[in-house]
Amino acid sequence: MQATRDLDRGRTTAEAVDEQIERDCAAFVAVQQDAGLDLLADGMLRWQDLFRPLLEASEGLEPGALTRFLDTNTFYRAPRATKAAPQLAEPLGEGYLRPLPAPRIVTLPSPWALAKGTGLTPRVVAGGILKPQIEALGPETDLVVLSEPFFPRDPGPKLDDLASALEALGVDRRLALQFVFCDARPALELGLGDLPVDAIGVDFYLTRPIDLPDGFAKTLLAGVVDARSSLLEDPRELADFAARLQERVEDVALVPNGDLQFVAEPIAREKIARLGQARFALAEEAA
Amino acid sequence: MKEVKFLTHEIGSLAKPPWLVKTNAGRPLQQADIEHARLWGEKVGVPGYDRLIAVLDQPERDPNEVARWSSRYALRLFESAGVDVVYDGEQQRSEMYAWAVAHANGFVERGTVRSFDNKYYTKSAVVAAPSLREPYHNEEFEFLQSAAEHELKIPVTGAYTLAIWSYDEHFGPRGGRLGGAVRRQAEIAARREFALDLAHDVIRPNLQALIDLGATWIQIDEPGASTESDELEVFVESFNESVEGLDCMFSTHLCFSDYDLFFPSIEGMSGCKQYCVGFANYDSRELGTSGADRPGYEVISKFRDLPYEPILGLGVLDIHRDFIEPPELVRDRILYAVDVLGDPARIQICPDCGLRTRSWEVAYDKLVSMVNGTRLAEAALNGAHAVTGETNVFPR
Repeated sequence: MQATRDLDRGRTTAEAVDEQIERDCAAFVAVQQDAGLDLLADGMLRWQDLFRPLLEASEGLEPGALTRFLDTNTFYRAPRATKAAPQLAEPLGEGYLRPLPAPRIVTLPSPWALAKGTGLTPRVVAGGILKPQIEALGPETDLVVLSEPFFPRDPGPKLDDLASALEALGVDRRLALQFVFCDARPALELGLGDLPVDAIGVDFYLTRPIDLPDGFAKTLLAGVVDARSSLLEDPRELADFAARLQERVEDVALVPNGDLQFVAEPIAREKIARLGQARFALAEEAA
Repeated sequence: MKEVKFLTHEIGSLAKPPWLVKTNAGRPLQQADIEHARLWGEKVGVPGYDRLIAVLDQPERDPNEVARWSSRYALRLFESAGVDVVYDGEQQRSEMYAWAVAHANGFVERGTVRSFDNKYYTKSAVVAAPSLREPYHNEEFEFLQSAAEHELKIPVTGAYTLAIWSYDEHFGPRGGRLGGAVRRQAEIAARREFALDLAHDVIRPNLQALIDLGATWIQIDEPGASTESDELEVFVESFNESVEGLDCMFSTHLCFSDYDLFFPSIEGMSGCKQYCVGFANYDSRELGTSGADRPGYEVISKFRDLPYEPILGLGVLDIHRDFIEPPELVRDRILYAVDVLGDPARIQICPDCGLRTRSWEVAYDKLVSMVNGTRLAEAALNGAHAVTGETNVFPR
């Protein structure tokens, strides 16, 4: 934070900010490794918001009005279309997707979220922007998480449009669609079983387990760490909750319910540690 | 018809100058910092600014003294730009949220989080029932009363925004939340209790203290008001709890929100005499006075139709871009608003929000353009009507 503030005020150089981000990323990775997480994230430290890097790397989409992100005191530049068929001019490089020492996840906006408010269909942005970006990811990317804050909140969401967009991605990658910071029930009720993704992410601070459909056959990214609360989770409670989920869903992964940028870094670090403790407690219980 | 004359005013924050930032941080000044003070002292006509230069030349500087100088500069920046109603851009405050919670009991800092881009704020958790430690704008207001040449309007961060920007470790349940077990109505009830406690025990005594000192216009800043779309009634209730029965003009500032959400809830906020709202952020830069030309202002008819007929503080400057709005663009935004509201007396002119993210150079040029555009709009309206010599400024 200090480095980017200093850069804004002309008190440091872009190179110095790069070095600081490198150090911060390494520290964040170490926290995840210490916690024993299976897939690592780079923390998206350089991303101004979920959309901006892709907008700036595109022809036909640009950053628009400053807009509140859901019910938070965080803002993003809403995508604005300047062409009917935007294209990714150049895939994001290491500046935005830091190399990591182990299998990783990459988080991108879902096509529904990226198209929201632009007048474009999710399928158009999926094919023009997201598909080439996902295809450019290296083999160390084990899972691409498509972050979807809006779909369950939008009135009358069209599952067919979302499904069509995901099909347009047509990539040979493990894909997850994560419904962040919302009650996923409206989306789950539409029936997500046929969506061409491998995993579905659910915020279990706003969604009840009984709202999971019977026969949920995909991997469940169970959002059990509340990324918007300063309160720290009890690993035992998380493990017990996950065990109950496993009675209904075969493959459960434990994750935060959204980006951890909504809590300060020391709190985020502790939440990651507790996520890891919950995972080990769950494994011990199973053994 | 009376001659049309729009009141212009600022909103709140202005960037702190480098000589204040470095003084607060205990860092040495560079010659460029002192030149900044000299240049702006001359440019906006700060009386006796050479005394500040002498202070800045010293290796040890009193941060409070330098902050008061910064207040003088900010006042003069607004005044010399031609803005009618001014404040000091919050030069003596840390930040609109942090300053308030630092002077209240019941909060603990929980670290710094991002707001957007490279802008951050220190977020606290409420851990006990909040109360006012001491009125926290009195000293600032008394000083500004002595320094301002134009009328003052005091920005005070509102109860709901303080509540929604804080982590809740006191009012809501601390455990058993996993699994969607805490239903939404329980969360809303907890926030209502928090916001009303803030309104009654922190904001209201603070407002009363300012009124006792002679404040005539207080702006309750509520940028977080629409954060939760199903809590608008809590926002309204907390505003009313803050101001009811107090003798002052109260306005509120809303920004970067889906303004449609406020209706119909704010129909119950009749103690608010002016809504100061940011629209330019959503608007086109093209000239024109039709609805199609002014997409950012589509919602203003809803403010027009409020039963208690508040004034609309029309945001005409996008405060997150360096783009200097041409006076003609400001003019057209005003003329469109006049066309929709019908009565020019229900319109006042302001930036979308505080200008703290812009340099003083950009902020000043934007404000000058805002004032010039306002004069163009007045000329257009007065040229279109018979002028009687009366001036039609809404009474405050």
